[in-house]
Amino acid sequence: MTKYVIKRLLGIIPTLLIIITVSFFIVRLAPGGPFDGERNLPETIKRNIEAKYHFDEPLLMQYGRYMFDILRGDLGPSYRYKDHDVNFYIFESLPNSMILGVIAISISVLFGISSGILAAVKQNTWADYLGMAFAIVGISVPLFVIGPVLQYVFAVKLQWVPTSGWYTVDGNWITIILPAITLSAANFGTIARLTRSSMLETLRSDYIRTAKAKGMKSSTILFKHALKGTLLPIVSYLGPAFAGVVTGSVVVESVFRIPGLGKFFVQSSFNRDYTLIVGVVIVYSVILIFMNFIVDILYSLLDPRITYK
Amino acid sequence: MKKNTNKGSAPLLDVRNLQTYFKTDEGIVKAVDGISFTLGEGETLGIVGESGSGKSVTNLSIMRLIQSPPGKIVGGQILFEGKDILTLSEKELRHVRGNEISMIFQDPMTSLNPFLRISTQMIETILLHQKMTKKEALKKSIDMLKLVGIPAAEERVHNYPHQFSGGMRQRVMIGMALSCEAKVLIADEPTTALDVTIQAQILELINELAKKLNTAVILITHDLGVVAGMCDTVCVMYAGKIVEKAKTEDLYASPSHPYTFGLIQSVPRLDKAQDGKLYSIEGQPPNVIDLPECCPFHPRCNKKMDICTYKYPPVKKVGENHEVACWLYADEKEKSST
Amino acid sequence: MLNKKTEKKPQATNQFNQAVAGNSLTRDAWRRLKKNKMAVISIFIVVIYILLAIAAPILPIYPYDEIVLDHQNLPPSFTQNAGTLLLEKRLADLYTQAWRSGSLEVSEAEEEMLWTWIDANETNKVWDYMLEKGEQMSADGSFTFSATDQRRIERLEEKLMSELKVSIKSLWYTDPISNEREKLSSLTTEQLIDLYLDLSGTDIDTLKDQYTREIEQQLLRGIKDQNPELPDAEYQQMLEREIERLSESRFDSLIKSNILTKITNQIVNDANSHLGQMATDESVLFPVKEEISLNDTISAEVEASRINERIYYLGTDYQGRDMLSRIIYGGQVSIAIGFVGTITSVLIGIILGALAGYLGGKVDYIIMRIVDIMYGLPYMLLVIIAMAIFGRNILNLFFALAIISWLTVSRMVRGQIMSLKNQEFIEAARSMGASTWRIIFKHLVPNSLSVIIVFSTLRIPAFIMTESFLSFLGLGVSAPFASWGSLVGDGVGSMALYPWKLFFPALAMTIFLFAMNFLGDGLRDAFDPQSKNQL
Repeated sequence: MTKYVIKRLLGIIPTLLIIITVSFFIVRLAPGGPFDGERNLPETIKRNIEAKYHFDEPLLMQYGRYMFDILRGDLGPSYRYKDHDVNFYIFESLPNSMILGVIAISISVLFGISSGILAAVKQNTWADYLGMAFAIVGISVPLFVIGPVLQYVFAVKLQWVPTSGWYTVDGNWITIILPAITLSAANFGTIARLTRSSMLETLRSDYIRTAKAKGMKSSTILFKHALKGTLLPIVSYLGPAFAGVVTGSVVVESVFRIPGLGKFFVQSSFNRDYTLIVGVVIVYSVILIFMNFIVDILYSLLDPRITYK
Repeated sequence: MKKNTNKGSAPLLDVRNLQTYFKTDEGIVKAVDGISFTLGEGETLGIVGESGSGKSVTNLSIMRLIQSPPGKIVGGQILFEGKDILTLSEKELRHVRGNEISMIFQDPMTSLNPFLRISTQMIETILLHQKMTKKEALKKSIDMLKLVGIPAAEERVHNYPHQFSGGMRQRVMIGMALSCEAKVLIADEPTTALDVTIQAQILELINELAKKLNTAVILITHDLGVVAGMCDTVCVMYAGKIVEKAKTEDLYASPSHPYTFGLIQSVPRLDKAQDGKLYSIEGQPPNVIDLPECCPFHPRCNKKMDICTYKYPPVKKVGENHEVACWLYADEKEKSST
Repeated sequence: MLNKKTEKKPQATNQFNQAVAGNSLTRDAWRRLKKNKMAVISIFIVVIYILLAIAAPILPIYPYDEIVLDHQNLPPSFTQNAGTLLLEKRLADLYTQAWRSGSLEVSEAEEEMLWTWIDANETNKVWDYMLEKGEQMSADGSFTFSATDQRRIERLEEKLMSELKVSIKSLWYTDPISNEREKLSSLTTEQLIDLYLDLSGTDIDTLKDQYTREIEQQLLRGIKDQNPELPDAEYQQMLEREIERLSESRFDSLIKSNILTKITNQIVNDANSHLGQMATDESVLFPVKEEISLNDTISAEVEASRINERIYYLGTDYQGRDMLSRIIYGGQVSIAIGFVGTITSVLIGIILGALAGYLGGKVDYIIMRIVDIMYGLPYMLLVIIAMAIFGRNILNLFFALAIISWLTVSRMVRGQIMSLKNQEFIEAARSMGASTWRIIFKHLVPNSLSVIIVFSTLRIPAFIMTESFLSFLGLGVSAPFASWGSLVGDGVGSMALYPWKLFFPALAMTIFLFAMNFLGDGLRDAFDPQSKNQL
């Protein structure tokens, strides 16, 4: 097992290196350096600035230094904001995104799995149809439509919740509801449908028939025998689900004006603040890669047939 | 040796006119259409037929394990010790399943839960029907595994199914099925998925244990050779109906239905030279969707008569405990009554 | 229903003598698909959408990029034209003003109700109510406008009546010597400048000053659009850099279009003053086509229509553009990107997947490692970066999306091919000397086609969603072009006041995505009934 974990951890390294390398060269390739605007600076000051950002060194040196800095956890100075470096902005907004993301994932997993199971057990009843109708809405309607529509109905028309806001800003926890629902919709749909089909398949499987033939209660069969097999495909879907939440949060944070990483990301991509964009991407990648790693380990723990070699 | 059933008392299991239909997009499939048989205590009954003839559905119906929808038991009675299984409540049914009637399935590779240890699966079965502590149940599980011939049962009981070979898994299944001392054991083609060398061992094991525990067995197979060695009585099924039912010796000595005759002919035998060619029944088993009112075997039958194409034959006695459904044995009166 | 049953019975009796007809997978799948009601409805919807998208240029809709500033944010209406709506808007405003100034009196209860609306920021309701109330009171004579207001209304009515939209269909230059006609736009910049100097009578230096200033402003606007919310000084710097970077030919074409605009404006002015007269005396039936000559050399064919007679079924956007035509044209962009992008990515995926699967060994290893690593990347974010850095246009968007979305197809095709490759018919083909390429594309790919078709169908809505996602953020398709995503994005900001700007594009998009998803599900169930209910 330990061997397997180490092997998987080693497997992360090339992906990370590629992300950092690609990021580095994208930034260097990008038209217009960060300080082109300040053309009229005296030569000495200009050189000083270049020295500060190490633009005077050969490209390979810069690449090495960049890599080293990132491995140390330093994402460098922002090109646009002069007061703080990238780390500061990222770690200021990351917690907000994390909270939103964790709540959204929990909602989609919890409700997705339970409505999927319900739909499978009560196949072809109104509970099935209702659950699957919600699921298909979650899958088919993009979250940048769901978000504003929810906002319009519940905030503008019914005025149950404020249109925007965030608890760290105004201390109002209720503002988290709409963004979390919006962000969880797509994953909820996919997980619900995945659970339903997986459960139906499991319930038709031979070993469930064996359990029935042994005279077991249907509830015991469901939770002791069927659940594990049902959950396997859902666990392997969690990786893409996390990626979906990360991408989705970019939109949701913009729509609901949440001071999170995603909103920052959009802003900085408009500002062409390359170091900040790249910093955000690296942080997101590390989170995603880490999540995928956990999902893999979880999967191998759930399925006894997988051997860790 | 084969045992004669006690004629006086009611049989252990009495299936009467069982009908199980499946609703499909193409039409209604009469997978089992009005079959009847009885099974006495300790007796061994063989059900023989080609794939799709309704053997498995019959036995799943006895356990009420038919997937519904699309399947449904639409008629008949299944009397187990005088009680109709079809009218039992869910709770009473659970008491019968595994405890009174237990079952071994065709494919041992998929019939055990791959996510649970053998010990978990065996213990839960025992605890379900017997008052025992977990420890005692574990001990009993190990004993059962030893009984079915699993080496190093004490350690292997904690393994997962994928750590066993196919034959071993089928042994585990048998051990599990017999762990509650069920009165009837239904073995649904228990050897089809196994290597030929292991098949004989498994059958021998079932036979031996059934004798030892005085369990009645329903053995479903498409292999007449297997039936000959093990069963007291044989039912031959074709397209959802029993076409011939007899004592095993009688069936082999005087097969009455052309289909049975064909089946027996097609078993390869070393003692009888067959001029180098194997006998086979021509044609395909019929599609049982919306089957018309005819003898379903008539397109393949070499003794086909006109009446076979539009009317199903009545069941006729042709000897003691020997029944056959074929127009060859019907009276003129019955033939002309249409 | 009954008919069908009676038809079926004799067929069954016949079954024994009947040879069972072979049914191809496609025909069988089609039969199953036809049974799926949702899928059939979806096919119709998708076809309608595609037809609308293709036929967009010849549909009787207003141009999607025509800015009519007077018509900003008009609500959707089937009966009232833009003029009526504008007049009503003005009347509502005037009635409200009259109420606030006290000249229009309402009851106590009404007063209270109006104030609660105002407190709740629901001015729309106030206007609607005041319009109704005022009209009623004017009708029964209990309220009359002051003389100034009366005049204002009359003037507006007149303006709405007479205002024309003059659009130039073609611009011609006639050579005074040879009398040959050619398109004005085909002339060189120098020729145009000469013509314009001739026409306007200004001297070359004033003109130069003028167009340089105008071009600078135009560039600045572009920069501000791309980089909002920066300090002015920074914009100035960016502008200088931009001008420095401009190539000679690009600058030349900017001048040319500037001069052309000037000439066009003059023609439009001419036409307006000429046709405006006709508009008021109602002697002509609009729209009118006419040929106008500025002088001996420049002439134009113009079409004039009463702009305020337009009816916007789905309202207008913040620049007075027709939402209906923007949604249709936006759909055109979205659907095109969805289909073409899917086809491109599927083709890349098929080629790479087939190679990896069939050749195996090193090729397989390399391709699959690339796929693995790319799977680990947060690709959506990389696309966003790419769009931010390399500029927002449809082509870049399309490439960025196609490059990342071949991964799944290649994996799928590889898996299919791996399982097919060892089957007898491939052995047979190889033993008969078929080449590798022939085996792959004549035997293996067609055999995995059903899987690919099903996957592609489900891929299209995903592609559209991704495109719209970027456009929504403002990183995809940019004005004057539209896509469903950018339309929804435009509508979000002002949804409280102008909900139609959000709902119609969202609805159009959602219906299409639903249809595509149902169709994809239907196809999958049809091609592979075993995996029913599978995702």
